[in-house]
Amino acid sequence: MTQPSPGDHGAPATMDRRSFLRTGLGGAVLLGGISLTAGLMGCATAPARNSDTATADDYAFRFFTRDDIVLFEALLPAIIGPGLPEAPNDRRQQIDRTIARMDAGVVQFGSANQNELRQLFDLLNFGPTRVTLARVWPSWEHVSTTEANAFLNRWRTSRVGLFNKGYMALIKVTNVAFYGYKDNWPLSGYPGPPAWAMDALPQFRTRA
Amino acid sequence: MALMDRIAQGLAGDWKVTDAATLTENQTLEADVVVVGTGAGGGTTAEILARAGLSVIMVEEGRLYYQKDFKMDELTAYASLYQDGMSRVTRDGAISILQGRCVGGSTTVNWTSSFRTPEPTLNHWADHFGLDDLRPDILKPWFDGREQHHNIAPWAVAPNVNNDVLRQGCEKLGWSWAVIPRNVKGCWNLGYCGVGCPTNAKQGALLTTIPGALDHRAQLIHGLRADRLVMAQGRIDRLLATALSADGVTPRNIQVELKARHFVVAASAIGSPGLLLRSELPDPHNRLGKRTFLHPVNASLAEMPQQVEPYYGAPQSIYSDEFNFRQGVDGPAGFKMEVPPLHPALSAAVMPGHGKQQASNMSKLPKLQSVIALIRDGFHSDSPGGQVSLQDDGSPILDYPISDYLWTGMREAFMKMTELQFAAGARRVQLMHLDSPWFTSWADARQAIAKLPMTPHRVRLFTAHQMGGCGMGSKPEQSVVNSFGEHHQVANLSVHDASIFPTSIGANPQLSVYALSARNSVHLAARLNA
Ligand SMILES: Cc1cc2nc3c(=O)[nH]c(=O)nc-3n(C[C@H](O)[C@H](O)[C@H](O)COP(=O)(O)OP(=O)(O)OC[C@H]3O[C@@H](n4cnc5c(N)ncnc54)[C@H](O)[C@@H]3O)c2cc1C
Ligand code: SF4
Repeated sequence: MTQPSPGDHGAPATMDRRSFLRTGLGGAVLLGGISLTAGLMGCATAPARNSDTATADDYAFRFFTRDDIVLFEALLPAIIGPGLPEAPNDRRQQIDRTIARMDAGVVQFGSANQNELRQLFDLLNFGPTRVTLARVWPSWEHVSTTEANAFLNRWRTSRVGLFNKGYMALIKVTNVAFYGYKDNWPLSGYPGPPAWAMDALPQFRTRA
Repeated sequence: MALMDRIAQGLAGDWKVTDAATLTENQTLEADVVVVGTGAGGGTTAEILARAGLSVIMVEEGRLYYQKDFKMDELTAYASLYQDGMSRVTRDGAISILQGRCVGGSTTVNWTSSFRTPEPTLNHWADHFGLDDLRPDILKPWFDGREQHHNIAPWAVAPNVNNDVLRQGCEKLGWSWAVIPRNVKGCWNLGYCGVGCPTNAKQGALLTTIPGALDHRAQLIHGLRADRLVMAQGRIDRLLATALSADGVTPRNIQVELKARHFVVAASAIGSPGLLLRSELPDPHNRLGKRTFLHPVNASLAEMPQQVEPYYGAPQSIYSDEFNFRQGVDGPAGFKMEVPPLHPALSAAVMPGHGKQQASNMSKLPKLQSVIALIRDGFHSDSPGGQVSLQDDGSPILDYPISDYLWTGMREAFMKMTELQFAAGARRVQLMHLDSPWFTSWADARQAIAKLPMTPHRVRLFTAHQMGGCGMGSKPEQSVVNSFGEHHQVANLSVHDASIFPTSIGANPQLSVYALSARNSVHLAARLNA
């Protein structure tokens, strides 16, 4: 059902209309083709294979690319902060498992919302836009937690609504996948569903 | 035994339920009536028509989940039971849209508050949209009937602390409050209504109207997305639908064609106008998708001295209408005050922060209390609502510009919620706003709120109540359907869901949908059986 949209100045219509930056920002049209450009420039555009991450067990990614994983390996320590364990192995495993849960969540988003996220991730992964819009100079694997945090704060406090929107998208998908997971419930003091109710309900009874 | 599951029994018995993920070839099916969507409106419609002896096929895009699947886990529930895995937003991303997508629709995940349509709302509709036959006294028997059908009664158990703080604040300030009627039977007071009731206490569509329809030989096909209605000679000839895979999202290469004498669309606000737009049905006055309303919600968070445990107990049991209609039905934006349940994932999604600040806020969850304001949109000319249109993939999207009129109402709501929480003994209060610190006094908060930028994204906004887009009215120039939900231009098409409301409701909408759908379905059954 793709239709050319008027006034897209030659950018591919689908890209332009779905672009994460499509509203309110003068450069929206300019940035409309990021996904396409990123693909042509050799950014990873295929979902990551399990071997791409060290410890995400045997999870098969359906949305996150290798580059997205690197991006979130840099962002998670800033987004979750003190919620992550200190010990390097545990930390690494928590990060990778959270990213795997994020992927599983995003699969349910529907194609239009997935495209929005794709635009956002590509914009952050693609060198020229990473530098100009996120003002992050090194590539993500070299970004420190302090730098990642500074980036998040820039987008959070920006007067450009689209950066606020990008900030919210990044932290929301991360926070939900992290704090919503049962191993992390103790961090919010949530004891989980009442044990007495689980004991009494048939769906929690494992068949003998 | 109370735990005997009605769905499991029906499936084991003679119910006609098909999971479209299991279809192996294209199908053509036929019935007297095809109903699209199985939520508040669709379920009611299917049951009444089936009981009237008509053959009915229910088409539902979401999948069938019931007691065996309801394990009080947020992540699985949000992924499987909500539209877009809970990621639905307005076009600019400023308002998060919570909406159900499963058999039972939003009633499977709603918080069980059950209000009649407020009288000022119905009178406003009569006066402005020519809906004289929906005046309060005329609708009364329909509310009575649906309250009985869904076992609706004021919550008789003590409110949880989260709700009780709302009550206490109102008491201190001399504001009105009341106990919320709920649609539950034998409720365990657990607090997991939003992730699918694990005890079968909630009397939503899933355990009332849908079993009622299936008991009367209606057929249900779930995991089947209605794509377009096809016209021939001025009537809807058939519905084209696509089967989805067991993951609930991936379309399969299997088409189902449904033929019927009459089609009832009940895919709700956003969904129903979306289907009608895709179908390119006549819309001579360009009304389709317009005037979509949301009860936009802003929120305030309090840290209380006592344990709140906002994740346990009936999620909503106290409300305040102090500021809802106070300045007239069509004066400055009024709002209803309620509380939301706070489980960890929902809290983490709603609290806009990261790093140390977020970790610290999250760690206080057991003592956190929240108040929400539901802004009554659509009653004033400066609140014309949003517009549904189609995206490249054919899915509907809502543009909802927030007018100064609404921002003013939201700022006022921030004031009142904060005042209330401090009056109820809050230690600190934080607005769900990117620029809000924790305030330690009402005086500080009041000063800051007066200057707070009220702009998209910075104010965190939500909606669990989508309404309008196929608005009803007596004049075709102003509306899509008449007061019976009958399409003005297409004779064998009706709309029976929240999308027909010409304004927002001014109260949680499910009972309004149940009652109006019941009335319109009885009317339709008589028409079809004549
Ligand atoms: C978290 C939450 C809490 C709520 N709490 C309350 C509350 O306490 N009290 C209250 O009164 N209201 C509450 N509501 C709102 C209330 O549940 C809805 O207003 C009501 O269910 C709307 O009824 P409906 O028939 O219009 O739509 P729904 O009940 O949403 O049903 C619409 C159905 O149509 C299906 N559909 C959509 N598109 C298609 C398609 N193309 N093909 C096939 N099927 C399709 C959807 O999957 C869905 O199942 C809440 C909602 C949410 C999300
Ligand atoms: S409070 Fe618990 S038992 Fe009661 S309706 Fe909600 S989920 Fe069901």
